Formats: sequence, structure tokens, C-alpha cells
Amino acid sequence: MTRPPPPRDAARRAVVTGLGAVTPIGNDVATFWSNLVAGVSGVGPITQFDATGEEVRIAAEVKSFEPRDWIDFKQARRMSRFAQLAVAAARQAIDDSGLQIGDHNRDDIAVVVNTGGGGIGDVAIGQQTMLEQGGRRVSPFMVPMLSPSMGAAQISIQNGIRGPVITSVAACASGVQAFVEAQRLIEHGDVDVVIAGGTESAILPVAFAALGNMGALSKRNDEPEKASRPFDAGRDGFVFGEAAAVMVVEAADHAEGRGANILGEIAGGALTGDAFHISAPDPSGYGATLAMQRALRDAHLEMEAVDYIVAHGTSTPLNDATETKAIRAAFGTHADRLAVSSNKSMIGHTLGAAGAVSGLVAILAIRDGVIPPTINQETADPACDLDYVPNVARRATVNVAISNGFGFGGQNAVSVFARVDA
Amino acid sequence: MTDRRAVVTGMGIVSPVGIGSEATWDALVSGRSGIADITLFDASPFEIGVAGEVKGFDATAYMDAKDARRHDRNTHFAVAASGEALRDAGLLGENGTVNGDVDADRFGMVFGTGIGGIGIMLEGHKILLERGPRRVSPFMLPHMLPDSASGQVAIQYGLRGPNMAVVSACATGGHAIGEAMEAIVRGQADIMLGAGTEAPLVPLAFAGFGQMRALGTPKDPDSGEYDATMASRPFDATRDGFVVSEGSAVLVLEELSHALARGARPIVEVIGYGSSADAYDMAAPAERGEGNQRAMRAALARAGIGPEAVDYINAHGTSTPLNDRYETMAIRDVFGEHADRLAVSSTKSMTGHAMGAAGAIEAYVCAKVLSTGCIPPTINYRHPDPELTLDYVPNEARAAEVRVALSNSMGLGGHNSSVIMRRFEE
Repeated sequence: MTRPPPPRDAARRAVVTGLGAVTPIGNDVATFWSNLVAGVSGVGPITQFDATGEEVRIAAEVKSFEPRDWIDFKQARRMSRFAQLAVAAARQAIDDSGLQIGDHNRDDIAVVVNTGGGGIGDVAIGQQTMLEQGGRRVSPFMVPMLSPSMGAAQISIQNGIRGPVITSVAACASGVQAFVEAQRLIEHGDVDVVIAGGTESAILPVAFAALGNMGALSKRNDEPEKASRPFDAGRDGFVFGEAAAVMVVEAADHAEGRGANILGEIAGGALTGDAFHISAPDPSGYGATLAMQRALRDAHLEMEAVDYIVAHGTSTPLNDATETKAIRAAFGTHADRLAVSSNKSMIGHTLGAAGAVSGLVAILAIRDGVIPPTINQETADPACDLDYVPNVARRATVNVAISNGFGFGGQNAVSVFARVDA
Repeated sequence: MTDRRAVVTGMGIVSPVGIGSEATWDALVSGRSGIADITLFDASPFEIGVAGEVKGFDATAYMDAKDARRHDRNTHFAVAASGEALRDAGLLGENGTVNGDVDADRFGMVFGTGIGGIGIMLEGHKILLERGPRRVSPFMLPHMLPDSASGQVAIQYGLRGPNMAVVSACATGGHAIGEAMEAIVRGQADIMLGAGTEAPLVPLAFAGFGQMRALGTPKDPDSGEYDATMASRPFDATRDGFVVSEGSAVLVLEELSHALARGARPIVEVIGYGSSADAYDMAAPAERGEGNQRAMRAALARAGIGPEAVDYINAHGTSTPLNDRYETMAIRDVFGEHADRLAVSSTKSMTGHAMGAAGAIEAYVCAKVLSTGCIPPTINYRHPDPELTLDYVPNEARAAEVRVALSNSMGLGGHNSSVIMRRFEE
């Protein structure tokens, strides 16, 4: 452990004032949260392409999403689905926060919305068009649609936000990284407000082929809602999902000044790299442990303050055992007094959006005093021996919750969320 | 707020004009173009088939042959440029990873890219279409992501601190350098690589950019004869589009006292960073470079200097009609009368536009300008555009006293980043 972090300036604390989400179990925050607490699975047969005869035929898809509810029809057509989901979630979050965007503040608002694959779907369409019909038939909108930065850029364009617009990619840690970056931008005084989150939509043959052939995906095709079972002994891989989740994060004095409803705060965060392997986690969990420790130190909190961990919990054999070990290494005996649950048991693994969804779950657990369950807990795994809040949600006071995100390539990100006393 | 300062202690580069800093800098100050006919694939179906390819690059010189086979070309470039930068900074140990006396947990990176492993993704998708999903490589996914390069650089050199890959189209490189500076100033890390990498030379890119009518014509505008090296003509009245290129540049940013304590030589100090969005259009820049103006102003404010302190601007200067016009207007609006005393050059006239790597390559150029006192030219500049009247350092390199340099980067979607560096002084 090196130097302690500098003391926090209370006025520049990063508080959360609005939430938005489009997920496999609800296209708004209220529906998402009530289904998550009820233990409803969003996993089902793939509908976005014909997966008949494939090894993996299930996914956690967003259902009945209508871009025109959120975006001008013509503009929506020139947006990749990952950007459409992001714009919709951001619209909800901004409305929820009551933030009015105009000439008085548009330069002092940032957008940090991350992703894993960006517009990979438009790349695939473009290539198929080129191979089958030639280069002249490729859409002139393909290039500006496919860039991973277009989720954040479209939020900026649709809402007239002109401060820093940043997209960072850290595979499955992307979503958590957005909140770490948002807190830094606020604390550092760069801007007063950050629209922060993650988005992913890549329900495509090529993604399933690639992930399936890695052996990363669950093949429990006949029982889709039971396929994602983080920490359970019967887990056999993750279920690929799509989602977007966005928060409005503000400097405390800015939020108080406009009388905003404060839902909680981003109290700290940290990023680390395993420097180990391009797809497997370091089995020692060192990088994950280090990220949790540093995030708490950054938040000026002792580990005993943590009530709830929103786990990365992917449902792969390796991740869940390694994450359990890393939590034990970071928290010692306090690990047995913590609640740990994985929302991926219900919405699958939404890659670049996963950490953003988990951030929302942390804030909602703090707000409502409810911890959503990890569903599909049937057979205990001796390597996974924490309290995973099995199958049924639990009432509990949550003052501090941390959210874990670990990505391919060994990128670890942890955010700390805390209650703000009125 | 903090007295932590970020200095550059090492640099590495792989570019269309050379592999390594020595070859690259020699070409840039000699005004040599790296643009030529495409050799990486059959470009005959495309109207425009020229690019800035990295020539004679062998990935296995920098990484294990098995790793090289699985990784995308953008990761190869990243690993090669990072190795050179670490060696230059005196940070590379004998076993090929970072020196044991450096705390690897406080050594991270912001490694940007525009599109990551697009080559690997397209190869996988082609196999899917032609031979079915079971034949797609299990290595495809973790090797095609935009953060695959930053992951592999961390693995190969043992860097375990904060690690992220930023994406903001063609503004990426500037954001990567700026965010790396901020990570050091804020105390998140003691050493950060600020870097960009790109390998976008695939047929689909030429189809897409071709359909956008965004690419420069490879012919001599006077004789009308075919000439690949004339395709990129920033600020020239005949400019008609950019040239896609590839490469990687890596700057080692280090906290000043950390650098001095280990006896490292600071090359330059990174003093300013500004970032903004146009909030205007998906492809076209905002009028008069309004967003670029705000990024430059924010970078000046962050550096705590006035516009008159700046001596050199490495322009985004893509060679598209609109970019070069608006960037010139933006420089005039921000710098006022001082704009006429500035040297402004676009090295994209020689390197082409390496997308997400461009800002990093151009930050490298700024650091070399500050440390050598030599400004590389804008080549292919023959026909002054009556509306564009800055000093673009036409065709010949120039010796000049340069204390402060600014690098501009703008991207599709309206992203803007500006980075300011100063010659190192205690």
C-alpha cells in the first residue's frame, strides 16, 4: 500500500441523481428493479437471428424495444442498436434527475458511456454486403455507426451536451470503469455533471460462434431461465445478454443547489490489470483483490463498512471461484458477514453494460434496503462459499455496496457506492 | 490542488514512414511520404487503393510466434512501440518485462484505438459466412476487442496498474495521452503509457470510407498523373480527402519526482489537456471548429498559460476540405493575432491518417519538435487556399525555438481533444 488518497472536498463528492436502464427484464428502471427483486429471468431462446441447430440457442435479449419511443425515426435508422439502447437509457436518467440542459450548462456536462464491442453488428452487415454485392453497396453510414464511441457521441448529439465525451473499453469491466472515470471528472472539477454508464448489443451469429467456441457460453438450451447460475455447482458458462444502463452523476454542491433528489454517491473506485492472460483470470485473484482494496482506500472506507457486493459473478466455472477467493483475500473474516449477489443470474452477461447495470443495482439496494437474489442456486459448490443471497431477495440496510467488473485481458474495475444522509 | 507533474521519459513508434523513432523522425524531417499502393490486400475493386501501410513489419521480432499468430495487427504494433518506449525510458528489465525496482501495481496505461481488432473480427465473420459457426476460432473474441492491445501490452511487459482503452474515433490518441496525464496528476499511478494503435487497412474500411467520399485522390493535382504520395494534401487548395493509415505510438508518462529519483531523463512535460464534444453531427465537424476551439481553450486553461505561449501546433489537418478549413478558423479564433506567429504543420501529409493512433503519433511529433528544435513540414503544399492563411511550414522542415507545442485531434461523432506539452524545465 502506498500513499493515502487526499482528503475529499465535500462539495465535489460525486452523487447520483438519476437512473435509466434498458434490460432483458425491463425497458425502464422500475420494471427492471421489480423483476430483479422478484427473481425473474430474462433468458430465453434467441429471436434476433435464426439459431436453429447451433450449439448455443439462448440469450438474454432486450424485448419489445421501440427506438422511436426515444429517438427521431430517421436518426434511429442511422444508429447501431447499442447506441439506440444507450440514448434511451440516458434519456430516462436525465428525466429522472430533473436536470435541464441548456446554454447555461451544456459545456459543463460530460458523457462517459462505455461498451465492449460497439457497432459490431454493422461491421458484420457491411462485410456481408461487400462480399455478396460489392463495395459500392456498403452504406455510407456504416463507418460513423460502427465506432464504439457512438453510444456516448449520440447521447451528446441528442441532448446537446458539449463537455468531454469519452468512451473507454475494458471488455467486461467497461461499465464499472465509467463510474470510476465519472467520479474523477467530478472530483477533479472538470465538469459538474457526468452522464455515465455502459451499453452493449451484439446478439449476432458471429459473437455466439466466437464465444461458443471459446467454451464460454452455457449450453443449457432446454432450460433457458436456469442457464445462468453464478456460484452454483452446476454452472457451465455465461449467457450472453444485451442492455444499457446510465446514471446522472453530479457534484454534491451542484445537485444540492438545484434541489435534486440524491440517491447515493460514488464514493470511490479503482482499476488494476492482472498482467496474466488474454481471456482467463489470474487464478490467484490478485488483481481483483487489489482493485477492491484500492477502491475502498480511495473511498476512505474500512472493509467492515461494506454491506453488499454486486458480484461480477458470470456463471463461468473459473470466474466465480476466483472472484470468491479474491473477495475472501480482500475482506478476511468480514467476507462471511457480507451479502454477495449476481444480477447476471437473471439478465445474463451484458459485457460492456454489465458493470453499469451493477452500479444501478448497488444504488437501488441502498435506496430501497433490498438486496436482489442470485437465482438458480440449487447445488452448493465448495469453491464458492459466500452468502450469495440464494433465490430470494432480502431486506437489509445497505449503507455501502461495491460493484465488481473483471474483463478479458485481466482488466479489473471496482466502484464503491454509499448512502448519502439527508 | 496537486503538485504532481507528468513528464515524458520514453517514446516508441511504428508508423508508415518508419519502424522505430529514429527512422520515423528522419523521414518526417526529410519530408518523405509513407503513402503508397495497398499491398495488404487486393485493392483493385476500389476506386481509391492507396494507404499509409507500415512496411516490412515482422511481429515475431517483438512477441512470441504463437501470440503473434493469435493477435491482431493493431496489437502487434502496440507491443512493438511499447517495447521501444519502455527501453527508451530505461524501464525494461533483462527478462523483457518492466524493471523489478519499479512498482508494477502503480504502472498502468491508457491505450486508445478507433476500432481495435477489426481484421480478426472480419476474418472470423467471413469464416462464419462461408464455413459455419463451428469453424470460428475460439481465440477470435478476446483478440478482437478494442482493449485487446492494452491487455496484451500489460501481460507482455508486466504492467499491473490502471488499464483502460479509450475510443473516440480519430480523437482517440489525444484523449489517451490526456487521460494518462490526468491519472498521474491525480495520483492514480506513478507511470502511465499514453498511447494509440490502429490497423484499419481492411477492404471493408475502403468500401465504407469510399462510400462516404472521404478519401483523397492519388494524383498530382498539376499534371493529373497518378501519384500515391500526393493523395494527402492538408491545407492545399486542391485537397479532396484523407488517406487511411496504420501504426502505433507510445509515450511513457511519469510523475516528475519519480522520474528524477530513478535518474530518468525527462524529454518534455505534458501540461495541458482539453476535451469537448460538438453535439452537432455524426460525421461533419461543427462550424468554425467550434468544438475544437473549446478543447484548445480548455487545454490552455488546464496548462495555466495564455495562447501567446504556444509556438507550434501539430494540426489534425486531415486533408479533407471541411476539416482543414474549420481547424484553421478555430486556430484563428482561439489565438487571435498570435495565430500569425504560430507554426502549424500536418504530419498527416506524410503519415496519412492513422485514426485512433493519429493523436498519439502526433503527440510523439510534438515531443520531438520540443526536444530537437526542428519542425517537420506539411508536404504536398503547392496551392495556397485563399481562405487558409496560417504558416503551415510548407514542404521543408524548419529549425525553430519551440518551448510549447499543442496537438489537435478531432473525431467522427464530434469528439475533440487537445494536448499541450512544454520543453522540460526544472
